[in-house]
Amino acid sequence: MKTSLRFLAAAGLLAVVSGCATNVNTVERAQSQATPNYVSDKRVITDNTLARTVRVDAIKQAVVSGNLLKIQATLTNLKNDLRSVRYKFEWIDKDGMSVGGPTEGWRVLQLQGRESLDISTVAVSPRAVDFVLKISEL
Amino acid sequence: MTTIRFKTALLAGVVLLPSAFFLTGCQTAETRTIDASGPQALNTGGINSQDWYTAADQLVGSLITSGALDKTPVQPSVLAIDRILNNTQLNIDTDLLIKKIRVALLQTGKVVVTNTMGLGERAVVASEAAEMDEMTTGKKAKVIVPNYTLYGKLIQQVDRLNGVTQNTYSFQMSLVDVKTGLTVWEDDRAIAKQTKKSTLGW
Repeated sequence: MKTSLRFLAAAGLLAVVSGCATNVNTVERAQSQATPNYVSDKRVITDNTLARTVRVDAIKQAVVSGNLLKIQATLTNLKNDLRSVRYKFEWIDKDGMSVGGPTEGWRVLQLQGRESLDISTVAVSPRAVDFVLKISEL
Repeated sequence: MTTIRFKTALLAGVVLLPSAFFLTGCQTAETRTIDASGPQALNTGGINSQDWYTAADQLVGSLITSGALDKTPVQPSVLAIDRILNNTQLNIDTDLLIKKIRVALLQTGKVVVTNTMGLGERAVVASEAAEMDEMTTGKKAKVIVPNYTLYGKLIQQVDRLNGVTQNTYSFQMSLVDVKTGLTVWEDDRAIAKQTKKSTLGW
């Protein structure tokens, strides 16, 4: 009786662990041909659980259409199951003031287990020179 | 006698009054102001306020990054807004999308939007104003021909499986060069929402 209970518990645990796994494998060129412009960033962590779940790997920037700043961040899910986060980009002008845009707002992002995804946005105002990326748990 | 009255008053004060507040309090509707583009926005099977912001942001980002607006000889490019078809089951005003796109594009300084062409009440008023100006001054009003027209379509696809309903909303948009009639940019962004039906049935 005890043995079968143990077996059931082990099988259940295995089902939970393997059933939830939705990890993503990737393949890419060994020597990247791209020459991205990485942004050195400053991080403020107020949610340690979130920081242990989703990591911001890198932030790149580019100028599009002559004078508009584009920012792209690569986020990685550090867990083995599907995770959802909210994120928001805010723009700052050269005087340190917020440049609110008509399309600015929180977005939802779903990451499969161990998956890395790029999120990006373009500043609609040429006044934007800096940005703040906010991430919160869904 | 005085003690009984005191006890009755105490009972009323301590037990009945809070109970009355509690009962009436339950019937009070609570309203709070939220950020329309924020995480507190109600998520429904339809297109909610957050979805409009997301779709507009993605389409504007795609259009700007494409560089299509930079190719006109004279900057800023003149843009006319064409029809935005709503092929969803929802009764929505497409200005919820197009206005955000217009505002964003104007802020970039890459385009100006003409109101003497295209659809909508404003276009009618602007056309009438141009006619009035023509009548009063006797001079033919100079109408600036747009470089581009922007048109779009909203489509809804509904899928159901095992009590889950999935609504996929496609936000399609195209930019057409007026001189050549060629589409110089277009994009299709989708937002999918799954709703699970309650097993209790209420």
